[in-house]
Amino acid sequence: MPTHAGTPQTEEPAEALIEAEHVSRVYHRPRTSLTKPGAAVRALDDVSLTVRRGERYGIVGESGSGKSTLLRLLCALDQPTSGSIRFDGQEITGRPERRLRFLRENLQIVFQDPMSSLDPRMRVRDLVAEPLVGLGLPAGDRVAELLDAVGLPASAADRYPHQFSGGQRQRIAIARALAPRPKVLVADEPVSALDVSVRGQILNLLADLVDELGLTLVFVSHDLSVVRHVCETVAVMSRGEIVESGPVDEIWAAPAHPYTRTLLRAVPTLKGLL
Amino acid sequence: MLKVEGLTVRSGDVELVHDVSFDIAPGERVGLIGESGSGKSLTALSLMGLLPEGVTATGRAALDGPDGGGDDLVGVPESRLKRLRGRDVSMVFQEPMTALNPLMRIGAQVAEIMTLHGTPRPQARRRALDLLDRVRLPEPAQIARAYPHQLSGGQRQRVMLAIALANEPRLLICDEPTTALDVTVQKQMLELIAEVAPALLFITHDLAVVASVCERVLVMYGGRVVESGPIREVFTRPRHRYTEGLLAASKLTPRGTRLPTIKGSVPAAGRFPGGCVFRNRCPHATPTCEDVPALTGDGHAHACWHPAD
Repeated sequence: MPTHAGTPQTEEPAEALIEAEHVSRVYHRPRTSLTKPGAAVRALDDVSLTVRRGERYGIVGESGSGKSTLLRLLCALDQPTSGSIRFDGQEITGRPERRLRFLRENLQIVFQDPMSSLDPRMRVRDLVAEPLVGLGLPAGDRVAELLDAVGLPASAADRYPHQFSGGQRQRIAIARALAPRPKVLVADEPVSALDVSVRGQILNLLADLVDELGLTLVFVSHDLSVVRHVCETVAVMSRGEIVESGPVDEIWAAPAHPYTRTLLRAVPTLKGLL
Repeated sequence: MLKVEGLTVRSGDVELVHDVSFDIAPGERVGLIGESGSGKSLTALSLMGLLPEGVTATGRAALDGPDGGGDDLVGVPESRLKRLRGRDVSMVFQEPMTALNPLMRIGAQVAEIMTLHGTPRPQARRRALDLLDRVRLPEPAQIARAYPHQLSGGQRQRVMLAIALANEPRLLICDEPTTALDVTVQKQMLELIAEVAPALLFITHDLAVVASVCERVLVMYGGRVVESGPIREVFTRPRHRYTEGLLAASKLTPRGTRLPTIKGSVPAAGRFPGGCVFRNRCPHATPTCEDVPALTGDGHAHACWHPAD
């Protein structure tokens, strides 16, 4: 795995918050024969990464690269076949859900499609407060505070998700994720379903919140140019492996792995075309 | 080739597309860009006669025949449209998974569009293989026997393109054909479309994609064409403030800087302001904008009271 040396650091690097070591995840296809087991698919193959406190860490890859599998493992929504994942020093693999409370409080997720990730029959107030209820935390004035933080009017609390545009729904999803005051925000393609004029609003909002609240951000995207705007570190994934990782500016300027070069060349840019 | 004049699409009292006019010359590749809710897909669907129930189109859209005769596409009965659709005008949709029949083999689906328009079955079957080869699918014979779920998204979209090209249409309409695809697959698909399209109307919200395929572009907002012209000119010297905003928002500046945005969001259908449809989001709006600006200018036209220069 080619790694970039990184910019010379004058101060001590921040401590590791998420550490994945030699993580693999093997899925089994449904069997097609009575006598033989189904074929094994290595969705993740010996992946290691470290996300430091306060870091903005991007994961880039195409469909089938394993980025969603990796994300599910980091959020303990799935268990690896082998390897270990530690969050703030504590192992999260192999734990039953009832012993993952520290993770659920400290790591929250914003999904790609705010239409399917928000229950259409719940009011915004209940959607935003739900993570608190689940953790047994008091809601109090938190909902109004959160709506304000993501730039929605307080009146939004009484309405339903379908009454909002895509960008506003993504704001609701972000407010919901921030409700239990997490340390880590995991965003899975949060702007891929949005129009370009709204994309900037959501990326600006995420950047502001990460700064103000001192969050650690794990940002998954298929688009390296979006990751370059948001993150300082990036891991490029292909076929279940991290093929290259390091400071995003260096990888952008001088991609070492052939796959990263292909990916960069394939992204159409206005600058290159006009 | 295609001449659209005063195309207006309504659903009940709500006007969804207002007085859209444009031409496409033979062999020309024209892009139609705009955000979701701007009316670009409805414009395409009205040319195909595929508007949903309760939505009606008025105006004129004429497709020139090779022998000088013309065919109207808007306001003609379904029986006439049925003969044109898939033969003279065809369309590639965004979602290749929902557009293909999951229960039919690929070869049969490609052949079906030809037999429907009168090609004898054995000939259609043979030609289906040629078409799969033309859209650069490896092992056409094997693909022809496969079912849609056995193919990847990119392969399925190539099959859709093969179906669209089967009857040598005069006009190809592509509605966000690569939005669901990975960037590396998208690149190949765009190159293929540019190569095989007879005359192309290409709909997308991605400015960079349209710039890589088309020669001319129409910018839609609020159901109106607000700017049109050669891609290079429109994208390097945008006049309408909406185009200007879109271009600024498409550029991802380095980390730590604010991204330029267009304030607010696209209103729901029927909630656009009167006069200039963009005025409630426009930083340059003045009381003048309460009057509707006309689309003016030869070649590079724009509908804005306070154009950028």
